[in-house]
Amino acid sequence: MVNLTIDGKEVKVGKTATIYEAAKEAGVHIPVLCYAKKLLPYGACRICLVEVEQMKGRLIPSCTTPATEGMVVTTMSDEIRKVRKTVLEFLLVNHVIECPVCDKGGECDLQDLTYEYEVISNRFEGEKFDLPKDEINPLIERNMNRCVLCGKCARVCDEVVGYGSYSFINRGFETKIATAFDRGLNCEFCGQCVSMCPVGAILPRPFKFKARPWQLKEVNSVCGYCGNGCTVTLGTKDNEVQTIRFNDKTGVNDGNLCIRGRFGASYVNSDKRLTSPLIRKNGELVEASWEEALETVATGLRDAGSSTGILSGARLTNEELFLVKGLAKAVGTGNLDHSGGECYKGVTQGLQETLGLQASTATFPQVENAKAILAIRTDFYETHPVFGMVVNQAVKRNDAQLTVIGDKQGKLTRMPHARTLQHKPGLEVNILNAMCRFLLDEGLAKIDGLQGVEELKVALADYSVDAVAAAAGVDAAAIKQTARELATVENAAILLAYGLPYTANSRELGLAAANLSLLTGIAGRAGSGLYLCGEKSNSQGAIDLQILPAAGALGASGMLKAASEGKLKALYVAAEDMLVSYPDKSLVEKALEKTSFVVVQDIFLSETARKADVVLPAASFAEKSGTVTNAERRIQRLNPGIKSPGQAKSDFAIFQALLSALGATAPADEAAAFAELSAATSGYEMVSLDMVGDQGYVWGSDNLAPEMRNLVAVAGGKAIEAKYQLVVGSSLYHSGTTSLHAKGPMAVVAEPYIEFGREDAAELKVVDGDLVKIKAAGGVISAKAKVDRRLPKGVLFAPYHFGALDLNRIYHGQAAIAVEVSK
Amino acid sequence: MDIGKIDQIIDKHDGEASSLIQILLDIQSENHWLPKEALTRVGEKLEVPMSRIQHITTFYKHFSLSPKGKHEVHVCVGTACHVRGAERILDTVQEVTGVGAGETDPDLNFSVETVSCLGCCALGPVIVVDGEIHGNVEQAETAAVLTELKQAETDEVMQQCACE
Repeated sequence: MVNLTIDGKEVKVGKTATIYEAAKEAGVHIPVLCYAKKLLPYGACRICLVEVEQMKGRLIPSCTTPATEGMVVTTMSDEIRKVRKTVLEFLLVNHVIECPVCDKGGECDLQDLTYEYEVISNRFEGEKFDLPKDEINPLIERNMNRCVLCGKCARVCDEVVGYGSYSFINRGFETKIATAFDRGLNCEFCGQCVSMCPVGAILPRPFKFKARPWQLKEVNSVCGYCGNGCTVTLGTKDNEVQTIRFNDKTGVNDGNLCIRGRFGASYVNSDKRLTSPLIRKNGELVEASWEEALETVATGLRDAGSSTGILSGARLTNEELFLVKGLAKAVGTGNLDHSGGECYKGVTQGLQETLGLQASTATFPQVENAKAILAIRTDFYETHPVFGMVVNQAVKRNDAQLTVIGDKQGKLTRMPHARTLQHKPGLEVNILNAMCRFLLDEGLAKIDGLQGVEELKVALADYSVDAVAAAAGVDAAAIKQTARELATVENAAILLAYGLPYTANSRELGLAAANLSLLTGIAGRAGSGLYLCGEKSNSQGAIDLQILPAAGALGASGMLKAASEGKLKALYVAAEDMLVSYPDKSLVEKALEKTSFVVVQDIFLSETARKADVVLPAASFAEKSGTVTNAERRIQRLNPGIKSPGQAKSDFAIFQALLSALGATAPADEAAAFAELSAATSGYEMVSLDMVGDQGYVWGSDNLAPEMRNLVAVAGGKAIEAKYQLVVGSSLYHSGTTSLHAKGPMAVVAEPYIEFGREDAAELKVVDGDLVKIKAAGGVISAKAKVDRRLPKGVLFAPYHFGALDLNRIYHGQAAIAVEVSK
Repeated sequence: MDIGKIDQIIDKHDGEASSLIQILLDIQSENHWLPKEALTRVGEKLEVPMSRIQHITTFYKHFSLSPKGKHEVHVCVGTACHVRGAERILDTVQEVTGVGAGETDPDLNFSVETVSCLGCCALGPVIVVDGEIHGNVEQAETAAVLTELKQAETDEVMQQCACE
């Protein structure tokens, strides 16, 4: 610790603190433009100059100067005021004064400082900037005439996002922030630069002329998309979410968001939202009253009884899921599940059989200090972008060695010094097995207290590194090096995301990853972690609450199969668009057709809802209260920012009404439901709502200790023989099917596409935008081609979000689909 | 510029992102300027964002993002050279090559730049032609050096035409 005096106050701070940070700790305000908590110190703006007694004769930039023992700092004097005012005068020489029409007005650091330092006139004169505005993309507007060259946008894009869209271009007076070759912005559109800009140079376009900052009501909630569970602060006005506000004080994400979080919330304001219950009458869905709809549903479910199947989305809150369980009980069915192809089996079975857990073992921030990181599938960045940013920081700031096991390249593989084990599709398990075998052979495995070591050794006989490397097309030395690092470094992390497009080998991958985490000692060790991250905002909650089939009852695919054979009398689908997102569309179609009573509860009239007998209009995340549990077990609160449109009700209210119509009791409100569910849920027993504060509450503590340490042998996959193989996955800009109603993501990726590697594209003479046909067992799909450099020869990629693509006609849960390509 | 040549340069530096400036320098000296295709290739091979390459290439004067002539002529117009008649030397350069300060001729034979000081004021006026320093130059000497280069270029062109 370091002791220093700031404005007469004694302060004690950590060794790495700067004067600015020390002052902040002491509650002394120093103005800044270029400083940001999450970025490395830069010292560009010179607004934060202070006097230090030991460094007399010049003013010291407080944001870059480390606090040292005995320092005596003065943060305000006539001299400092004069100099800061001069700095502002310099900045205002070129800065165009457009405050009346600038969207930043009211929360602009430059405006506020100019006011505070009373810069009424300017002693200097110069040319005003007259640079063209970047208005090409619909999300981020750049007006470089307002730029103060603090560099925060360039730094956040490089240091945190790892994309590197911007840089300082030219030098001297001509210096400006620009993209490569000064073209329009073409990036991930995460809008991190928007959140960092202290002035009105980079602005969110969808928010232009919508409201002044002070007119907005701010409500902290949790993003409704992926399992990262980022805090989104809704800026609401006129019962609409106008924008997402920057907030780095609450939650797990440090103010970082991806395109979905920052620009994807607009679906809640969509005019396509369901506003009234619908009942099928004479073949048509017609509007009905809640009484009639609930009565119809209650009667239908009562009649179906144990032949009811209930499928819930993993974006409902814990409280709502608790009522879903209550509903299953009231109806008398065990056929309950929460996701299509049972893609979560890596967690519910894989981790259960090995570690006795059904959750990730550590929290996200710990990854930043990991020295070795193994990402299974490069798509991890696509499914959980903000966690991907943590990985980027680990690699860039702390020199973590990142290894990616993937069938394609991606954002992760391009990180500095990333090692890519690019394998033939479907062979991830084989590579993990080879790593396990290597650790056992070399005596590097931490086998103390592990069960099943001998059995695993026997089972891994066929998985020598050389054999696997040859079969998978991977460098053997890289496999060995990765395994060695994971076993020997102090902190390491293994990442694996699961979700609807990744149903293949889910259980096997979970087992293999868990085996490796046991042999390397990662599982349960403080600072290290095995992360199996769910795709949706409450995937972990759904597993925690055991929205899973009862013993002997049917899971999602079992239900659909039974339904398609006419063996189910009723299907209740809440917040899932099975026809689009589940594998094997024909099976889902048949199931919906053959089931006499189908209820769909959703916020949009989805493809699935169109086939329903009763449609119940539900509420979006921005309209409800309750809790969700993210992929690191963090329980966080949702807070309603707006009211639901029309007669739409929260899923909680719908289930409540339904339960009472069925003669069962339901908790009075969300808080009561939480009390009940926490008592009934393993890991939640000691959690009360009061404990879920601004940072949420991580159940089972930051490092979850394994209940057991059991190695389970698991067989690897086999590569398919086909000239072209299609792999299915998630696109960075979308999450599930909900984002298709959001203007932001749709502005960037509006259509389905088939991605080709350059080699294949050249051979097939396919260029960007060509219409291509993909033929496989199950049908022919067609979409525009996208040519990129991510894919190796013979491998194609398609995102699963788009119903229009009909991808699940040919995707039935395979790791790779043998396809024929034609134009 | 040939992509193969660029790959060779990148390989020479082991494709290390930390060697970015060195790689750009090599391409600059090989090709006299940095074409967009070359930069794109470097960015991809080194996994370095294009914006960072742009940052470096626009910061250092040594790099040129527009085509440069085969022969680079730098005329010092620093104070010492100025008082010893740098202006006249510059005029002569323009007369012989047909290229003004900061310009390149359409045939990409000559690029002329002024520099503010070369650090050898005792030799002023100074010109640098293709890296070779000519000190205490007079107009006649300047004209002679450049005419020789120009003649060589013309001969080459004539030879090519004759072959065809």
